[in-house]
Amino acid sequence: MLPFSYSARNLWNRPLRTTMTIAVIALVVVASSLFLGLISSLKRTLVSTGHPLNLVVMRKGSDNDGASALSQAAYQAIRFYDGIARNAADQPLVSPELVVQPFFWTREGGRENVLVRGVEPIALEVHDQVRIIAGRMFEPSAAEAIVGKSLVGRYEGTTLGSELRFGRGSWKVVGIFAAEGSSFESEVWVDVRELGNDAKRPLPYSAIRLRANSEADFWLLKDRIEADPRYALQAERETDYYAKQSESANSLYILVVAIAVFSGIGAGFGAANTMYAAVQSRVAEIGTLRALGFSRGSILLAFQLEALLLAVAGFVAGAGLSVVLAASVGHWLKGIGFGAATFTTNVVQLRVGAGDLIASFVLTLVIGLLAGLGPAARAASLRPIEALRRG
Amino acid sequence: MNYTRFVYANLLRNKLRSALTFGAVALAVMLVVFLLTMPAGLDALLNSLASNTRISVHNKAGIVYSMPYAFARKVRQVEGVAAAVATTWFGGAYEEEGRVTFPNFAVEAEHVGSVYPDYGIPREQLDDFRRYRDGALVGRQTMKRYKWKIGDRITLKSTAWAVALDLRIVGEIPIERSPVVWIQRAYLDEALIAARGRGLEIAHVIWVRVDDPNRVEAVMRAIDDLFRNSEAETASETEKSFFGNFFGSLKGFMTIVLLVTLLVATCVVVIAANTASMSIRERQGEIAVLKALGFPRHVVFATLLAESALLCTTAGLCGVGLAYAFTHGLRSFSAFIPALGPLGSFLVTPTVAAQGVALALVVGAVAGLVPAWGAARKPVIESLHEVF
Amino acid sequence: MGAKQLGKPGLVPCLAYGYIAVVMPVASGDPQPLVRIVRVSRVYRRGVDEVRALDDVSLEIPPGQFVAFMGPSGSGKSTLMNLLAGLDRPTTGEVWVAGRRLDVLDEDALARWRARHVGLIFQFFNLIPVLSARDNVALPLLLTRLDKRERLRRAEIALRIVGLGHRLHHYPRTLSGGEQQRVAIARALVTDPDLIVADEPTGDLDARNAEATLRLLRHLRTDFGKTVIMVTHDPRALRFVDRAFHLDKGQLLEGAEAARAHEAVAMAASGGVSRGG
Repeated sequence: MLPFSYSARNLWNRPLRTTMTIAVIALVVVASSLFLGLISSLKRTLVSTGHPLNLVVMRKGSDNDGASALSQAAYQAIRFYDGIARNAADQPLVSPELVVQPFFWTREGGRENVLVRGVEPIALEVHDQVRIIAGRMFEPSAAEAIVGKSLVGRYEGTTLGSELRFGRGSWKVVGIFAAEGSSFESEVWVDVRELGNDAKRPLPYSAIRLRANSEADFWLLKDRIEADPRYALQAERETDYYAKQSESANSLYILVVAIAVFSGIGAGFGAANTMYAAVQSRVAEIGTLRALGFSRGSILLAFQLEALLLAVAGFVAGAGLSVVLAASVGHWLKGIGFGAATFTTNVVQLRVGAGDLIASFVLTLVIGLLAGLGPAARAASLRPIEALRRG
Repeated sequence: MNYTRFVYANLLRNKLRSALTFGAVALAVMLVVFLLTMPAGLDALLNSLASNTRISVHNKAGIVYSMPYAFARKVRQVEGVAAAVATTWFGGAYEEEGRVTFPNFAVEAEHVGSVYPDYGIPREQLDDFRRYRDGALVGRQTMKRYKWKIGDRITLKSTAWAVALDLRIVGEIPIERSPVVWIQRAYLDEALIAARGRGLEIAHVIWVRVDDPNRVEAVMRAIDDLFRNSEAETASETEKSFFGNFFGSLKGFMTIVLLVTLLVATCVVVIAANTASMSIRERQGEIAVLKALGFPRHVVFATLLAESALLCTTAGLCGVGLAYAFTHGLRSFSAFIPALGPLGSFLVTPTVAAQGVALALVVGAVAGLVPAWGAARKPVIESLHEVF
Repeated sequence: MGAKQLGKPGLVPCLAYGYIAVVMPVASGDPQPLVRIVRVSRVYRRGVDEVRALDDVSLEIPPGQFVAFMGPSGSGKSTLMNLLAGLDRPTTGEVWVAGRRLDVLDEDALARWRARHVGLIFQFFNLIPVLSARDNVALPLLLTRLDKRERLRRAEIALRIVGLGHRLHHYPRTLSGGEQQRVAIARALVTDPDLIVADEPTGDLDARNAEATLRLLRHLRTDFGKTVIMVTHDPRALRFVDRAFHLDKGQLLEGAEAARAHEAVAMAASGGVSRGG
């Protein structure tokens, strides 16, 4: 068994070539991590943790709450059903909501549709992952708004204390909220009645979210709501609702993985070139080692190890760089917007997370293994006498 | 035997190394071309759909805020307006898809043809659209995607209105990248009255054609002044501006795409440069002999540089071919990625292909530059002394 | 002989021998020397040290002779060869070849001059391994204005002269050491140069091939009237050359010293075993 230092020392001896190969792998790691990070971030925002006992009630046939409309009567009927959880003040955890997509203007003068959700204060208890992190909740009928943290700074007037203009009026931002990275963070919340007036909606609500008391109650409620002959309604588990939203990102994720794999293969070719040249230049040395009694296997292992070390070094450099790059690009662009399809802009904070780095690491290892295999096999197959003579 | 053959023969010296480098460059160019189809797709859409005499009129607060349908009649009376059509978002989901996979609108059949004369919709099809209440005009991209033909019947279930409409396809909008489907406003109006007692009272966007391009600004101002103090203050903008804004949110994604493209390109320059330097270093003796024979240094430089350029450019051509195949396969397996919109058309146009080949050429030149220069510039006696 | 223009055929087809013979006058007793070295020194600076590779050397070589530069390693014979082949410039002194002064030419001008007037043969690395024998020989002709057909034709002629007409399309790795050297000689011939310069042409060859090479070089002088200058420490060379110059420590040996050196080499030659210099 050749010592580890043999492989390591050989990389050290040819600094330029080693650096160039590490750079190649690092660049690929950065590219893959950025892309993977982008789509993972997108998926993360599309999937709110939601609450497994929450029901999303919409008009039958709607696939998202922006497309649905519910009457006051439907709300009044539902909110007193049995099985709905109640808070400490014995109020039912039922949140009627109105969803509108007005124009917001970015700092650079661009224009995007942003989801504004009209709610009543009880919404904070139904959506318990939403927390006010600065300022306070808005007062009803006071033309006040709270802004999701992804939006802060991206549009004019979204910072705490400023005047936010959208729709037909002006709203004062009194609070900023966070929602565990979910898509709620790309929303602005205001009083539901005020929003309805502003948007001149014929029906006051888009959807109703409510919390069931227990799993059993959940199913009873769902059946009861959907069976009600007066209103054509559908009720869906909130976690399922969001899981469907994130499906659109799946095909994108697969595409990005394909891109990462292809670029990895390219980098692998580059690394293989370096390794083959290394074998070529050390033919005599290999012959000597074999003559001294080191087995084929030990030579194979030593060269394979060299390739893996290159790959790992490339990964470390690339991982660090990608995290830094993601943070600065994300900061400079103030989030990446997605959303041509859902008609509202989902602002994604670009973050290269652990999962993305793990995926890149696996890719790097595979590159290292494959790139090293051919050259290592060639080195191992050299016959000692030939090698000594040629070198 | 000529210079080209000489350069080519040198590339075959180490076939494995040349093949690996070729592979790396080809893959890199394939990726870059693929990535570049995204901004190209957006630009092409903006250029193909946007005329300079069409204006969009919508509620200043947002398209979703809608305008009363009556505005359309008033807009037509504004001086300079040649034609105007009120459009309303239908948001129909096509059968098994369950969700909206192409934009579809309810439009005024009598007016849509005069607002979009540049689309080139045949006269008879427009007549049929007017004649048949349940008629639908379908953009070519969607037509191809679902392999529909004129005469087919489809059902669209609206996600914005509580109705589903059975439609008959009466014509095609002959624009390659147009995904849009137009149905009759009157048809939707009837269906809504039947379902809820009230018809279609609103419009989301009124599209206006102005007869004189120089009067576009004036007409936009006139229209907005008309509704300034009404219940729905309007904002008019040119078609180009409208779509630019609509897809403006994709700018961030585009930046990432271009950044990744840059990284891939840099990566491949390093690979090619590594190859060039290894290959040239091994040939010091031959290079010295070439100089000794009387080949001037600039000729030696050129042949060494040409090797790298030749290898990378042919690999680039191969990469473009791979990109064609990849995107073709992608499109066949219904790769409609809603999150990307027009970025996701993945069409390799001649321009994008040319960009890919140009990149390969530049990579080859840059990669070979330093090693070739270093080897060629030494005086012949120095080169000989190093070797002998 | 004046300098020749490239493009004017110096090798002309002749049916007499089945291959090509040259129609070119063998100039003997021509009063103008082909090579004139006038008080030439070549000094290298290696850091703070000064190495005098050549020290105040003067000599003349008439046209149409086969000449050897001999001496131990470090004697300056290779340096001298480099100077008259236009590969290097002297520190002081004048170098004249075929009526042209070389020491005033810059790097690129020397390259142009070499292409037209000198044929070079090295000890190793002569041939480009990825080109066939014929393409290797045709290589220097890329620097002329000849078209492809003509270039290949002359390459074939040159190969036939050295007796390798049947190996046109072989690659160097399938040729023996001696054959490779002959291809190199053919290449040196193909531009019809004034001067053929060979650096240790037999250094890497076995006895039989060495003799064959020397014989071929002699053949170039006798049958084609070429001036051939060879740097060597192979004692067998004495049997083939018209004249041998001896150098030691950068200086040209004259008179008694030269005679002593010459005798030492001659003894080594007749002793049968060639010893390295």
